[in-house]
Amino acid sequence: MISKSWAELQKMHRACTIVVETLEALAQAALAGTTTKELDTISRERILRAGAKPAFLGYRGYPATLCISVNDEVVHGIPGKRKLVEGDLVSLDLGCIVDGFYGDAARTVGVGKVSAEAQRLMKATEESLHAGIAQCHPSKRVGDIGAAVQQVAEGYGYSVVREFVGHGIGTSLHEDPQVPNYGPPGRRERLVPGMCLAIEPMVNVGGPDVRVLDDGWTAVTVDRSLSAHFELSLAITRHGPWILSEPYPYGASKEAEAAVHA
Amino acid sequence: MPEGPRRGSEARPEPLEVNGRVLESLPNALFKVELETEKRQTITAHVAGSSSLLRILPGEAVVVELMAYDPRRGRIVRRRS
Repeated sequence: MISKSWAELQKMHRACTIVVETLEALAQAALAGTTTKELDTISRERILRAGAKPAFLGYRGYPATLCISVNDEVVHGIPGKRKLVEGDLVSLDLGCIVDGFYGDAARTVGVGKVSAEAQRLMKATEESLHAGIAQCHPSKRVGDIGAAVQQVAEGYGYSVVREFVGHGIGTSLHEDPQVPNYGPPGRRERLVPGMCLAIEPMVNVGGPDVRVLDDGWTAVTVDRSLSAHFELSLAITRHGPWILSEPYPYGASKEAEAAVHA
Repeated sequence: MPEGPRRGSEARPEPLEVNGRVLESLPNALFKVELETEKRQTITAHVAGSSSLLRILPGEAVVVELMAYDPRRGRIVRRRS
């Protein structure tokens, strides 16, 4: 893990803002009849127009800008000819690079009207993400994040995916430490100011088991149950978490500079 | 994009099994083994697992596993008889 400077955090803030704004546009565009490929094209154009570069395209050979995972697909779904239909639960995961610094975020949206179960799953997953973020204070540990996420998600009676984890982020998409969405509190790396993490719970209605399809990417739930995925990138500051797609929340920037380095 | 399982095991090369004959018993449960390949190379090998393979005597026919990391080292997997 490399601690980021204030100037570097500004770049990550920019990257994360582009990602989250693009996700918002995609959420609006995810209508019945749209193909997943069309959403991929929208995301690529928006990222390029903002002066950034797609982060996933070419990553370990990944062939697209966007990961789009429908219903029982958990993560890493590859955009293609599939048409979204009313009631689909669609996870959109996107990343971009600004001046060499990465931003990464994801959200799950419903196409049109979705089932009550799907809505409850989205609520549980997003809530678990924010429970994890609430742990992001210096001197806490990475294990506290996972424990908080797991407690919320399993409190809803859902299960947390183990095979995929959140991660440090910065000058590459995946940096140390790994950030699992489960496990005992008080373990793993200590959180320090300047550390940047992507926290991303993947929550299934059924069991936690997933398998990867023959395309080498798309992960689906083994029991074919619905799965949702929310993700935000954040920086640890002296005052607590800074969700990098939002403005710096702890006052003026002079003070902020000190906050990161303390 | 979540980080997937570390793919270390995929990157590791498969060991290669080769027939050999023990020439000499060395200290520390090591053995000098002559490979029954064209080049008749002699390598140093340790035993896989434990105990029963330790009582290998010079002249015995064995199977050794070779890895790309160090071609002059191997591990004796089993006896051949």
